Amino acid sequence: MTGAAGGGGGGRGSSRRAAGGKEGGRSRSAQPRAAGGGGGSGGGSEEEEQEQQRDGGSPFLVNKSGFPMDGQTWERMWGHVERVHPDGGAVAAAIRSAARLARPSVPPVPNYKLSMSIPDWLQAIQTYMKMLQYNHTGTQFFEIRKTRPLSGLMETAKEMTRESLPIKCLEAVILGIYLTNGQPSVERFPISFKTHFSGNYFHHVVLGIYCNGRYGSLGMSRRSDLMDKPLTYRTLSDLIFEFEDSYKKYLHSVKKVKIGLYVPHEPHSFQPIEWKQLVLNVSKMMRTEVRKELEKFARDMRMKVGPCTWVLGSGGSCALSHPAETGLAVCQPEILQVSGVLGGCLHFSQCCFCRVWCAFKPLQLCS
Amino acid sequence: MDPGAGPRKERPKPREPAARLEKAKQRSAQQELKQRQRAEIYALNRVMTELEQQQFDSFCKQMQGSGE
Repeated sequence: MTGAAGGGGGGRGSSRRAAGGKEGGRSRSAQPRAAGGGGGSGGGSEEEEQEQQRDGGSPFLVNKSGFPMDGQTWERMWGHVERVHPDGGAVAAAIRSAARLARPSVPPVPNYKLSMSIPDWLQAIQTYMKMLQYNHTGTQFFEIRKTRPLSGLMETAKEMTRESLPIKCLEAVILGIYLTNGQPSVERFPISFKTHFSGNYFHHVVLGIYCNGRYGSLGMSRRSDLMDKPLTYRTLSDLIFEFEDSYKKYLHSVKKVKIGLYVPHEPHSFQPIEWKQLVLNVSKMMRTEVRKELEKFARDMRMKVGPCTWVLGSGGSCALSHPAETGLAVCQPEILQVSGVLGGCLHFSQCCFCRVWCAFKPLQLCS
Repeated sequence: MDPGAGPRKERPKPREPAARLEKAKQRSAQQELKQRQRAEIYALNRVMTELEQQQFDSFCKQMQGSGE
């Protein structure tokens, strides 16, 4: 999230509109290499995307060239610094021309030990993220496309641990998911905030955590009370209102809150993250209404105790049934993708209840 | 071919070691560049973090002043 004090870029999302890099003195590290990396959008509606490209009035710059960063991206980063810092030219020159720079330490990636409690483990993860530091440079170093399959995002998370660079809020969510994978008692879900301050809209995201009947969060932000929260909140509403109260201190009014679904623990899942299963225009609702909606949603999430199962529907077609639905109420999926595998064909479809993607071998549909 | 000779040894291609050496040099240069970029990024981040904190502090003072 961007600071309350005047402009400054912040938040998340990838930018498709890169500010032009300034041609200037080259640093010792500005060796050109073939530009790499793909473009991509941050997902979401077009209007929201355009808003996110200029979070709080400042453009987003994103590195899409991999590591080491290519010359164009590197120069663009320094060009931005020279524009926003009052002494930008001198700062850039001093760092770029320094013969020797202190080599920043590489924080060790936290390793889960059986003797650790879940709160201790979450603390270790948060401490690791803080050691990477919040990225104030104005250029996001890791490209996060929110619509990518989870497996791809987990590869990016691995890259974050390899390259060990400052991160922003969206990267922290992806990294948090990666580091909490394999802890089945820990459910993770994204919580997004759209806030308003001084005529501008800001976007922020944290990773909600649910474990053993308690809610908390992991994340990174300019402000320390807009990121990690201990696993002590008895309800989802309590957690969300805590964030709302924190925002008030910085004179930000929360306009929208979006809660996503629990993220699967399989790191190789081709499912994308569901970022906004519930969207609340909180500025237009009473707190009691917000609480009611959040608690209903939280109950529904907790009910998802098993995967969807395929059943033979009427007329010989296959259909997807969700275990949380009473009886065997069947939702009719759209078959969106067909893939050939050894010995037959698999169809992939999405349950319209929990939005989980499932694969099945249809009994009658394959010719 | 001499029937008494042993199996023919495959002669290493003369260009291979040079190509490998070249690749190793490139990898090492890339690694050095990454390390240098990382050092510059963290030095920059320190400066920009201080700037953000100063701006935030001055904003808070402004708010307190206008509140009074």
